[in-house]
Order: sequence, then C-alpha cells, then structure tokens
Amino acid sequence: MSARIGVVTFPGSNCDHDTLWALEQLGVETTAMWYRAEDLDHVDGVVLPGGFSYGDYLRSGALAAQAPVLTALQAAVETRSLPVLGICNGFQILTEAGLLPGALRPNRHGEFRCDWHTVRVVEESRWFPGLAVGKALRLPIAHAEGSYYVPNGQLGALFQNGEAWLQYVDDAGRLSPMANPNGSVANLAGVQRGSVAALMPHPERAMEVFLGSDDGRQLLGAWVQGVSQEAIHAR
Amino acid sequence: MRAEDVGLTAAEYNRIVELMGREPNDVELGLFGALWSEHCSYKNSKGLLKRLPNRGPHVVQGPGANAGVVALDDNFELAFKVESHNHPSYVEPVQGAATGVGGILRDIIAMGARPMAVADLLRFGRDGHSIKLLQGVVAGVGQYGNAIGIPTVTGDVAFAQGYAKNPLVNVLALGIRRREDRIGASTAQPGQLLVLLGQRTGRDGIHGASLLASRDFEDGREDLRPTVQVGDPFLGKLLMEVTLAAVHAGLAGALQDLGAAGLTSAVAELCYSSEVGAELHLDRVPLREPGLSAYDIMLSETQERMLLAVDERRLQELIQLAEPFELLCSVIGRVVEGSALTLRQEEQVVAEVDARWLVGEAPQRPVDDVLWNELSAPVEEARVPAAVPNLSVSLLLNVLGDADVRDRKPIYRQYDSMIQTNTVRGPEGEAAVLRVKGSPAGIALAVAGPARWAAADAYAGGQGAVLAALARLAAVGAEPLGMTDGVNAGNPDKSDSYRAMASLIRGVADAAEAARVPVTGGNVSLHNETDGRAIWPTVMIGAVGRLLDPTHPLAETWQQVGQYLYLINPSPLDWGGSAAQIMLDGEPGAMLRPDLAGAVRALSAVAQWARADGAVALRAIGVGGLGATLVRMMAAGRPELGLDMQLAESRGQDKALRLFNESPAQWVAVVSPDDRHSLESHFLERRVPVLTLGQVTEGGQLQIDERYRWARTDLLRAWRRSYEEESS
Repeated sequence: MSARIGVVTFPGSNCDHDTLWALEQLGVETTAMWYRAEDLDHVDGVVLPGGFSYGDYLRSGALAAQAPVLTALQAAVETRSLPVLGICNGFQILTEAGLLPGALRPNRHGEFRCDWHTVRVVEESRWFPGLAVGKALRLPIAHAEGSYYVPNGQLGALFQNGEAWLQYVDDAGRLSPMANPNGSVANLAGVQRGSVAALMPHPERAMEVFLGSDDGRQLLGAWVQGVSQEAIHAR
Repeated sequence: MRAEDVGLTAAEYNRIVELMGREPNDVELGLFGALWSEHCSYKNSKGLLKRLPNRGPHVVQGPGANAGVVALDDNFELAFKVESHNHPSYVEPVQGAATGVGGILRDIIAMGARPMAVADLLRFGRDGHSIKLLQGVVAGVGQYGNAIGIPTVTGDVAFAQGYAKNPLVNVLALGIRRREDRIGASTAQPGQLLVLLGQRTGRDGIHGASLLASRDFEDGREDLRPTVQVGDPFLGKLLMEVTLAAVHAGLAGALQDLGAAGLTSAVAELCYSSEVGAELHLDRVPLREPGLSAYDIMLSETQERMLLAVDERRLQELIQLAEPFELLCSVIGRVVEGSALTLRQEEQVVAEVDARWLVGEAPQRPVDDVLWNELSAPVEEARVPAAVPNLSVSLLLNVLGDADVRDRKPIYRQYDSMIQTNTVRGPEGEAAVLRVKGSPAGIALAVAGPARWAAADAYAGGQGAVLAALARLAAVGAEPLGMTDGVNAGNPDKSDSYRAMASLIRGVADAAEAARVPVTGGNVSLHNETDGRAIWPTVMIGAVGRLLDPTHPLAETWQQVGQYLYLINPSPLDWGGSAAQIMLDGEPGAMLRPDLAGAVRALSAVAQWARADGAVALRAIGVGGLGATLVRMMAAGRPELGLDMQLAESRGQDKALRLFNESPAQWVAVVSPDDRHSLESHFLERRVPVLTLGQVTEGGQLQIDERYRWARTDLLRAWRRSYEEESS
C-alpha cells in the first residue's frame, strides 16, 4: 500500500502544482489541500510547498502560519507524529508556526537567488530511509529569505539533537563558506524536529536529469517511503 | 479641460467634435485622450506594422488581440507577446519594471493561456545612475515574476549612453492553453454582465498612457511619478488563478485585461472587437478610497484587474470560484446591442460615446507604397570607423569585459528560472528550451535586440534582429512558429525619428518575409526621447519555436578532446556596429547588410543539422562575435578542456574582424573527427559555407594560430566582471 500525501495551497503558493506533479511521478497518491483545511485524518503526510504565501507580506510565512491548516497540522504532529515536509516557503511557515526551531532571514547579500547548489545530509532520519549521512544532493534554490538563523548558543543543541539535517557544500562535498548561498548559520539548508522536516532547496524541481538533476527524486522518494512505513505502523 | 490636457492636438479635437456632433464633456474627452494616445492607438506605427507578414500555417491569432497565438500541436496553443514599460521604469524603476511584467502576463492570461515563461529585454546608459536603474529594474522584474511564479527563462541586456534617460524595459511573456480554452475579447454577447475581477480601483497611473508613455521626457519630471502604477504580484497570482479557472469552466463569454488606459481601454476594446455596446455603472466599481470621479475611475491604471463578460445565470459560479481567493468580483455593467458606450454614475449619464469612435476612428498616419519602398534604400555612411587594430591578447579581454558582452548571470540569478519545472535550458543558454507537460513537443524561446546594428542603419538593424533571434532557435533545432516585435524609438513627430522607426520595421518585415516566419503581435513605444535626444531605434524580437523532443536539446559546447570546431556561414570581414567596433570607436558604424537569401539557407541547414546524428554541439554567434562565443562555450564546458584554433585569415586586422564581427546567422558547430566529412557535405550541399576553426585540446587554454594564448581563468575573469565595474 502506498501513502496518501496532501499538498497544501495557501493564497500565493506557487510551487503547489510542481510538488503535486513531482509526487505523482513517484507514483504516490496525492491530494490537493486548501489552507482552510481542518481535517487531516485522510492523509499520511503533508507537504507545505514553496511560493509566496500571502505575497510574503509582513514576513515570509508569517501570515500563512496563522491559517487554519496550521492549527490542524500542529495537533496532528503532536498527537500522531504526522510527517510534514516544508519546502522553501513551507520551511519559512514551519519556523513561523514554531514547528521547527530557528528563523529564515533575508539573504545576506540582499538579493533573490536562483541557482544550483549541493547539499549534504548531516543526520539520518527514519522519515527519510536511505538518505545516509554524507549523501550529497544537487538541488536548485530560489529564495530571497533563506538565511537560516538560530540565536547564539542554540546551534550546538541543534546538532546534538539531530535537528541539523542538510548543509550547503561545494562541488567536492566540502563545507565551505563559498558554498553558502545566503548566509545561513553553519551552512544549514534544512532542519528537522520529530516528524517535521524542511529545506530551502526545491527537490520537486530536480526530478529529471534533463532538468539539471534527479536528486530531488531521491529525497522525495525517501520521504514518501518513510511516510508509507509510518503509515503501516500506525494501522 | 482642454484637448492638450489629455494629450490631444487641436485637429484631433475637431475630429472628435465632428464624430460626436457636439463638444465632448471632460469625461468623454479623457476617454478620447487615452485611446487616441500614441500608446493605445499606435497612430504613428499602425500603418507600418500592418505590412509585417502575419500569416502562416501555425498562426491561430494574429495581430490585434491581447497576444498572438500559434499552434504547438493538436492540443496546445502558445500565446506570446512583448510589451514595453520604458517611461515608468525611468521614473520609478522597481515598480515600473514590476508592473511591466504584471501587464504582459495579464495580456497572456486574457487569451486564456497560463503563462509559462518570461523574458526581459533591457537597455541602459553607461553612467553610474544607469547602474542604479539597472539594479532597480532587475529587482522589479524579479519581484513580480518570482512571486507570481512564472520563470524568467531568457533575456537580453545592453548599454549605451543614449539610453541613460530613456532606459528600455521590454518584457516578453509566453503562455500555453488547450484548444478548448480559446478565449478573447471578441466574443461578448448582448445581455451578458460585465464583471470586474481583482484590485480595487485607485488613483494610480491616471494618464499613464496618454501623458507618460506618449510624450518625450524633459529633465526633472519627478512630477510624473504619480502616473506610475504599483504592482501587487500576490493579487496578480490570485487574479490569474481565478481567471484561468473561470475560462476553463466556461464562465467567461469574453475576456479583456485592464492595462494602459485602464477601464476605458478594456471596455472600448471589448465592445469594438465584439461589435457590441456597453452600459457601465461607475458607482459599482470598487474603489480604494471614496471620492474618485468618473474621470479618475475610467482612466486609473490600477493593476491586477480583469474584465469578463459573463452570462447572468453563471455569475454565482464565478463568485464561488473567487471566494476562497478572497478576490473581489463586481458586476459593473452589461453588454448591450449596438456600439454605444454609456457611463452612469448614480443613474446620471456622465459620458456617452460610440466605442467605434474610440478604437476604430483613432487617427492613423498613412503609409503608402512610395514611403514603404524608400525605407530599404541604402544609407549614406555617416562616418567611416577608425582603423581596425590587429588581433592581440588584450583586445579579446577588453571585448569580453565590455558591459554588452559580459556574463549576464548577475542579472538572471535574481530571477526564478526553474519554477513550473519545465526549464530544460534556462538563461545560461542562447535560447531557452521548455518541456510541455502532457505533450511530447517542446518549446524554444529566443530573444534578440541588437540596437547597435540599427544605430547607423535602422533597416539593417531590423533585419539583423530577426536573424539573430532565429539563429538561436535554429541552433537547438527548433522549427520557428512565430515572432513578436517590440519597437522602441524616439519622437515620431520628428522626421528623423519617424524614419528610423519605419526603416527598422521595414527591416523586420523583409527578414520575416524571407524566413517565412510570421509576426503575430507586438508593441511600439515611441517618444523615447529626452531633451531632443532620441534613443537608437531598437527592436526587440522574441521568436518561438517547436521542438520535437525538448528533453535532449543539442549541447552548446564541446565535450571531448579532439572534437572539431567549425564556423558555419562565416560573414564577410566587416565589424560595423559590433560591440568591439563601438568599444574602440566610441560611435557605432554601419553594419554590413545581411545577405538575406544566404542567411535563410543557413537557418534551415543549421536547424536540420541540429537534429541530425553526429552533431555534438552548436551555438549561435552572439554579442562580442566569435571570440566571445568561444569563451561562453569554454565557460559552459569542462574546465580542463581548451581550444587550439587556426584562423584562415593571415592579416592581424582580418583576424580581429573574424573574431569580433557579429553578423547574424553564423554558428560554431562541434563534431567528432569521424563526422567532419558529413558536416562539410551537409552544409556544402545546401550552399552554406563553412570554415574549420580548430580542435578541442587538453588544458584550460585558448590558443589561436600558435601565437595568441589565454588561460581559461583569465578569459572567464574578464567575462564575469560585475555590472558595477566599469568597462576598461
């Protein structure tokens, strides 16, 4: 059996269709969900896709974090460890909602940046079976506010707790300030906490070699597998 | 209010009185002022544009609609057009550029097509202030395109001091629709409701079309800032989703976006093309603030609005569609029989005009055959360029560092080029390549706007722009389906400026005719003139092509040691109008007029070869000529590879001309040693000359004639200078 994954559309989300398409390429059952959804019982995992929810007005993700679906999401994460994956704006929403630690600040150079980058897996997770530590993935980024930040003193805990998930690295897989596209602390590109994980790069854009990389297929595929396994356990 | 307050001449005013049989009131005068403006009526260019070839087997919609449409395959159609937002972008660069993107996207949406690509074509001066404008414009393009979620997949930028006070911001958008989602402005039926969707109407952009975009600048026109609109990509996204969903559900009887001249233009165009009239109740238009007059409401250019003609029985469905997006959906009037446009406010008639007067009776400058035929006459060369220098190591580095030649990455990395996950080749390539979900066919999109070539000979420049765009399509093996043209020129009331624009269009017409590629729509921006100084006549060409398989476009660079490079269709040794020539002379010389017949032969031979087995890579010669093109290939290739070249030219000056002439319809082709013969015979059989250039070598070095050598790193450093750095 395969899991059913919900992809949430907020007003202004613009990677929702790309994400649904990508998941469908993996053969998983998907359902498009609206920001007003309050019932998540019918899904085994939820993706908050990229985009400009509410135009990124006020602060990226801040308004979407107040939407009804986030209340439902919070409850489902607490009560049944619902797997949640945030991509780009989805990451911003999850930090704003307090489901993930830290915050995403404007890129240090002040510009929107769209480019290819390599990220390295820092920590294994049961929600991503097969994504081993050290695994490098080539994925695109596209954001203006992707500089991951945690206050002084919290970074160590992030690594100790296994919450530091992905880091930007150079082509040779080395951690380097030159490989950091936005000024993120410790080159962090993704973090996780419990069943919630999020990253700034766009795996849904890296589904085919002819689009530049199919490493996104590995990342999303691992998550879908993880979600399916959890769903079986739960039943 | 007087005629000149709305930008009309006394003669035009008299014509209005004659049409109406009475004096117009202020509101009516405002309607005429907007729709008879240069910007809306194309009064000085329409007679010329009519002569562009606009028919072809793939054309679904030619000029005159919100965008041209061509057929991609049996299921899908492509809507595309270029539009300018030049004047606003000088007054307010970020918002001017952002609303330029929003505006052209709504034109595409108004054809029922979902936008899937944007291209930006930008021109700036070479002073410090121009770099600030560049930064603002790029931020604005990105701000709108990134947020609404349409990838910016290709573009073009160039610099000349003549654009310092008249920068050009032309934006092209391309969208896709299913055949069954065909819609436009010409299908409104009497009895249908007129529904305004989107933003509340405010005071922004009043007189944008009539006064800002249709007059020359004088220095210090900060007072024009209120005529610039403000863009809201978030609302644009909601409007796009609701409009496209309404079209797909069959709720829209007709569709027209609100752009230049706002509601006035939208209603008048819809009535005129549907051959109906309309009654509008202006008090039902949602306002951002109370107290707007009928005049303000009709002329406001508030963005993110769309006008739909809707059957009354389907109104509820539309309202339900818009509800989750919290998008305003207001019935503001009704379509009626006839052609009268009646505007009411609190049941008082505030204006009553015939839509045909506003659109069909707009003044037009006639173009007779005598004038048209003169436009291709040879120009007397104003000046002979200074002596051509010998090739040297520093010459190539200097050309690479010229602002026109440099790597555009500092611009395009600020644009999302990958959203929608169709971008097989993005802005790093000479042509963008997009896959189409649901079709085996793909799309190639290429742009070109080499105004340097038109500066001294507008006719040659018009031809060259068409050939340059088509050359890029040919290099990916695409079959051209259609083109759009963005014409930018000076004050048409001055004979020199008019002549330059007219010759430019004639050049486009002749090249399009020769290549048998129709021009399905476009845009004209005149009055790009400040204190009596006009820009170079500039045409931005966007060409759309079909690919049989977009997933494996031919590479743009070599892959292995030993591969051979050829120059396909080498041009005569002349570099008039090239970046190198201008860099050295300071002024553009006349470009050698293209050999159209030879270029068209080459275009078809190259496109065929690009699809053939044995082709390793192909790249159109771009800005900076062969020299810069080789460096772009090097940048795209493996760092450990280099090039050993032997030029056929023996004189040092001829070597420089070979390396830096920019004549369109030339390409670099790459083949394996085994395929040399088949390449040579392919082109010779089609009467296209080729020159062997050299071979791919180990070591990141470019070497020419065993005498000139450059390290790859030095070449790339010169080419990757930021725009903040001055040219050397």
